[in-house]
Amino acid sequence: MPDWIVVILKSLTLIVVLFTFTKLLGTKHISQMNIFEYISGVVLGGIVAIHTFDPQANIFHAILALFIWFIIPFGVEKITLKSKAFRNFTEGKSTVFIQDGKIMEDNLKKEGYSTDDLLEKLRERDIFLASDVEFAVLEPNGSVNVLPKRENRPLTAKDLGIPLAPQKEPQTIIMDGKVMNESLSNLNLNLKWLETELEKLNVSIENVFLGQADTDGQLYVDLFDDSLAVPSPTEKPLLLATMKKCQADLELFSLSTDNQASKQMYEHNSKKLQEAIDKIEAYLT
Amino acid sequence: MTVGSQVKTCYASIKNIEASLQILENKAQHAEAQKAYKEAKEIMKDIKGDLGKQVIYLTQEEPQYK
Repeated sequence: MPDWIVVILKSLTLIVVLFTFTKLLGTKHISQMNIFEYISGVVLGGIVAIHTFDPQANIFHAILALFIWFIIPFGVEKITLKSKAFRNFTEGKSTVFIQDGKIMEDNLKKEGYSTDDLLEKLRERDIFLASDVEFAVLEPNGSVNVLPKRENRPLTAKDLGIPLAPQKEPQTIIMDGKVMNESLSNLNLNLKWLETELEKLNVSIENVFLGQADTDGQLYVDLFDDSLAVPSPTEKPLLLATMKKCQADLELFSLSTDNQASKQMYEHNSKKLQEAIDKIEAYLT
Repeated sequence: MTVGSQVKTCYASIKNIEASLQILENKAQHAEAQKAYKEAKEIMKDIKGDLGKQVIYLTQEEPQYK
């Protein structure tokens, strides 16, 4: 066999083997790998690189070496999943740098971090004052994670006590003018519903580039023809407005009538309607 | 517009709200949202009942505008 055919065959074999092994080793991102995983990855690549263009090298040696460099990291990974003690040994433990707002100088020294290094890591997190930090920890992968003090954390709806409606992920139900039946049924909706909604918007399905529906089954579409304007869903705002209008109407009736029984009835119902509005306002906005 | 027709309009709106809430309840994915819509719908049902009686009462009061 001429050398060049050997090179082609070996390359193809090694590509298949390398691809299988790396798939089996999982999809960890490089930044999440510890140094051992990183190096074994490089070695796997190196073995393939050396053997792929050398017709003299023995391909079985290559596959054997690949297998060993695959099976040991693979085994280590499996054991680390099971055992916490082994995990501490292979991946290392995290080190607390700042606790209760106080910097742990001994831990810094132990990890070889200077004050400048710590400040730099804090600045990466947009913290320029060490006293703004409640807790900071050095993770085994070398990044520093920081918990700022309560008053320095971003304001959330929870802090303000604003009730919010729970939301699930929106589903993409039309792609390139084609209906995605699976995501449609994920929302408990069917084709009939989609046709009605599109008719309401006055567009045909072929003209829809992308269509998405949110948790409450409101349809948002983008058309191929960008010159057409698509109205945004009005169902919920309209409902809220109607409720508010009815509530005001009832109040008005109660003020304008002289009949005591009717007056009370209107008043009572207007209050009830207000209650209903308070209950679902978060969901309708 | 007479009082009777005003109340009738409001009655129709209330019915509309109830139906819309029912649709939203059916479409809602989250149990919590479903519950809120359902509760609101029940309230609307009560109001609808009261207002329906009032509509009948008013038609009797103003038979000329029936």
